[in-house]
Amino acid sequence: MSLMRPIKQGLARVLGGGGGDYSVTVPVMDGPLKPNDVIEATGRIAHIPGGANIAEIDGTLVASRGPDLLTVSASGEAAPRGTYDADITALAVSDRGAIALGLSGRGVVIENPDGTRRHVDSAGDRALTCVTALAFLPDGALAITNGSAEFAPEAWFHDLMHHGASGVVAVLDPGADTATLVATGLRYPSGICPIDGSADRLAVSEAWRHRLVEISRTGRKVVGDLTEELPLYPSRIVPLRDGGYALCNLSVRSQLIEFVLRERRYLRRMIRDVPPEFWIAPALSSKHSFKEPLQAGGVIRLGIHKPWAPTRSYGAIVGLTPDFHPAWSAHSRADGHRHGVTSLVQTSQGLVALAQGNGDLFAISETGAPLAQAEDTAKDAS
Amino acid sequence: MEKIERLYYAYFPEKLLGEVLTKRWSDNFIPILAAILVIGFFFLRDPGFFSVGSVVETSRQLSEFAIVVVAMGIVLLAGGLDLSIGSVFALANIVALICMNLLEWSVGAAFLATLGIGAVCGAVNGFLIGYLRIRAFLTTLVTLIIIRSIVDIILLKYAVPISSAFPDAEFWYFIGEGLLFGLPFSFLVAAVIIAFWHIVLTRMKFGWHITAVGGARRSAYNAGLNVKRIVFLTYVCSSVMTATAGFFFAARLGSAGSDTGVGLEITALTAAVLGGNSLGGGRGSVAKSVFGALVVLILTDSLVRIGVSGGVSSTILGLLLLAVVAIDVRWLKNRHKILNKVYVSPTYFKLPDMPETAKGTDSPYAINDRLREVSLIGKGQIEGPEDVIFDRHDNLYCPNRHGDIVRFKAPDYSEWEIFSHIGGHPLGMAFDKHDNLNVCVGGMGLYRVSPDGTPEKLTDETNRTLFSVIDDSRLKLADDLDIAPDGRVFFSEATIRYDMQDWPQDALESRGNGRLICYDPNTGSTHTVLRNLQFPNGVCMTGDGESFLFAETWGCRINRYWFDGKKKGQCETVIPDLPGYPDNINKASDGTFWLALVGMRSPALDVALSMPGMRKRMAKRVARDEWLFPNINTGCVLRFDIDGNVIESMWDLGGVNHPMVTSMREHKGYLYLGGLYNDRIGRLKLANADPDWTSQDDYWGKSS
Repeated sequence: MSLMRPIKQGLARVLGGGGGDYSVTVPVMDGPLKPNDVIEATGRIAHIPGGANIAEIDGTLVASRGPDLLTVSASGEAAPRGTYDADITALAVSDRGAIALGLSGRGVVIENPDGTRRHVDSAGDRALTCVTALAFLPDGALAITNGSAEFAPEAWFHDLMHHGASGVVAVLDPGADTATLVATGLRYPSGICPIDGSADRLAVSEAWRHRLVEISRTGRKVVGDLTEELPLYPSRIVPLRDGGYALCNLSVRSQLIEFVLRERRYLRRMIRDVPPEFWIAPALSSKHSFKEPLQAGGVIRLGIHKPWAPTRSYGAIVGLTPDFHPAWSAHSRADGHRHGVTSLVQTSQGLVALAQGNGDLFAISETGAPLAQAEDTAKDAS
Repeated sequence: MEKIERLYYAYFPEKLLGEVLTKRWSDNFIPILAAILVIGFFFLRDPGFFSVGSVVETSRQLSEFAIVVVAMGIVLLAGGLDLSIGSVFALANIVALICMNLLEWSVGAAFLATLGIGAVCGAVNGFLIGYLRIRAFLTTLVTLIIIRSIVDIILLKYAVPISSAFPDAEFWYFIGEGLLFGLPFSFLVAAVIIAFWHIVLTRMKFGWHITAVGGARRSAYNAGLNVKRIVFLTYVCSSVMTATAGFFFAARLGSAGSDTGVGLEITALTAAVLGGNSLGGGRGSVAKSVFGALVVLILTDSLVRIGVSGGVSSTILGLLLLAVVAIDVRWLKNRHKILNKVYVSPTYFKLPDMPETAKGTDSPYAINDRLREVSLIGKGQIEGPEDVIFDRHDNLYCPNRHGDIVRFKAPDYSEWEIFSHIGGHPLGMAFDKHDNLNVCVGGMGLYRVSPDGTPEKLTDETNRTLFSVIDDSRLKLADDLDIAPDGRVFFSEATIRYDMQDWPQDALESRGNGRLICYDPNTGSTHTVLRNLQFPNGVCMTGDGESFLFAETWGCRINRYWFDGKKKGQCETVIPDLPGYPDNINKASDGTFWLALVGMRSPALDVALSMPGMRKRMAKRVARDEWLFPNINTGCVLRFDIDGNVIESMWDLGGVNHPMVTSMREHKGYLYLGGLYNDRIGRLKLANADPDWTSQDDYWGKSS
């Protein structure tokens, strides 16, 4: 088998029949992943254009926008809370009230409730320049995913188009000064959380491999897959109070992107000649310029943009059972705007999430149903 | 690398392969190749086989065998199978010999009697299979055995007297041994029979009926064919032809051997299938049968000559049949798949750099939202108004995707009616001198609608290109037109390789698949003016009476063509580097021209255009809805002068009112916008336009 593998790969590449790594097949969204309109239909809590991350501190929602941290009131008003010296790329809050922030290019800052501050900018010999997710573990340690050694979090899709595999998972122990590396060579880890409240077993989403993996903190290794291959690029994972998890996603996979990733020569020329915002690559939002690539299904006919159309940006939250099987999902499809739903917290209102695509803050129920909160939804219903 | 790719796509006729595969005759390649290989092989092994004497002898055998194979081919074509031909052949042989040797009938009478016996055998088969619907395989297997037994009974009684008698008829021996024009008599007769059946099968009603029954029995029945009678007749024809062959065999050898025709059905079946006749029916031809016969005959004869024993030779033939049947099944199943994979045939194309379109720059293409003030006509009531035009009473006409011409009534255009129904998808329109509306109809051709709404076909074909594989004489996608002062209609056919609904696929190829055509109403003739254009579109007279402008959509350029005057026949590029894909061109009141950009270039596609291999693989591997496409969700309207200077552009930034613009028409100070995939017509007040100008007056003068 292993001897035949290169031959089979070569054949698949030349013949284009699509076997092995040269297959451009994307798993279908079916069963619990069946598309719906929940994210579009649910009400709006607040509108924070440019918002990137959210968290809940003492029952108050906070959101990051660039280098600013904002508090979001119940009525949806955003007020400044603090400003940092680089864009905030990840947020986590501990049970004891400590806040951890990932700063683009700078590493991680932890602010304790007593006012002390810690700054960590490396793990082992790796600089933490692309902090994509943070999670406090039950023993007070901070788990960190650094998506890429080469690119900043804002340039996340560059890492995909460059076939990046330089992500690491690191853990900062409560008393330690430096973080320790737990796993390396990951393809853009972009979400992390403890499995079952354990301080040793970590679930990590590996975006470019479309899966969640289990990583052992003490064993410092990847234990194995937690999910089947997903049709999405998974990002943050949030444990839910009643068991199970909610999984955020950067975007949806598409055959065309899978195909372009395998066309090395085209890929090189596209990266060289085309501005990044017009690449054939996943995005957090799209439809802003006619220079963006269009796919056949995306042609507007008689004024209608088809929801099933192939798209570069997408909004999806997947509910997972305690053993990481998809249980439900909420979507914002090609015709929607709440794309790039990468950040989610469980509050008393349900699951509050932020769509980076258009800056909408919205909530859905713990079972993935829309919640009518804003007037506009009430109007639609009547 | 890029250079190699460019040269390869410039000179290697890759698209031919796809086009050849669309042809039914492409099935013949394998049998012809097999024939050449077999002949070549034995020519090298045994040159003696091809001496004159041997060829004449072989041609006698061939003529008998070919007739039998053609007979088998006809039955196969109708979806049947005739295993009884070996026995019928033997019976015909013995009947002919009895008539000649014992009864001493004339040759003509003996011939008719033999054919009669053949017809009776065929009628029995045909009745059982055609009318009683018994399985062909079983029925003919049974008749094979019964007829063979009859032959054996006759042989028991008459074998000795037959072989001891010699008929006294010159003609009889002439049939068997004589030469006419240096060719064996039976060979000539066979040639006539083959030619006759070729004409029947390809050119005559009965032949088409046979193919229809074999291709889809139920559909043939639903189409009103008498399926039972046709099946019956194929068996009769088959047996009569086999009897003819048997008659020649009798004349040639005059022997009443008991092994006459034994195994002939398998040999004939092998030959027929090897030639490319499908066992499933509906696919086959006389030429295929003849080639199959040739290969099998040369193979068997040569095997004997080089000393292969009879058993081995039969085994080889059997294996050959098995292999051919397997190939036939696979080919039939996969042919359309291969075709799907090779038909889209992209070529190398490099667009010039895209001009600046950013908002706030001083580029004439700078994005603005001037189209936002558009008011809408018929929103939600009209589907796919590709073009808009006005008559002398200010009524607005537009086509829709149902094949109608819709008339919105002046002055407020809130009321509408169907002016005329043509069918297809009407696209570009122009009024002629006598107020007739000339329309290009996608899928149908060029039509003329009289002022009372009666449509009339002007033309739907042009001269076929010399040496073209696919028949390009029919008009597939007539797109836009304009009328010269002398009444000649110049119109564009966007592509000859794709149908109306697949037009953006043509962009994947970016090959010059389109052409410009001229229809002359004075003579009623149509001829192609220019070919190999990249989706020609938007034809518009310049007003000098000797040239017109046209757009090449995928080429992103505007050209000028002279059809008269000093520069007659010349074509020059006016604007070489548009930022988007041009569609219709129409006149503006100040002598400049309006141009619609149906879509905009996207940098990722521009890169792909110079990489045809990538596009080809994309067409193969990626689902159609996922293909990279030209961005036809955003468009704009431009105004340019005859020297190619772009004066202004009008955009709808959000695409709210007009997601797509395929055409525009200035009329009395307003600009009206149409879009192929839109459900509305836009109307925009023009600030500096002549409020009395109409294109009708401009083209044909004020009405009297």
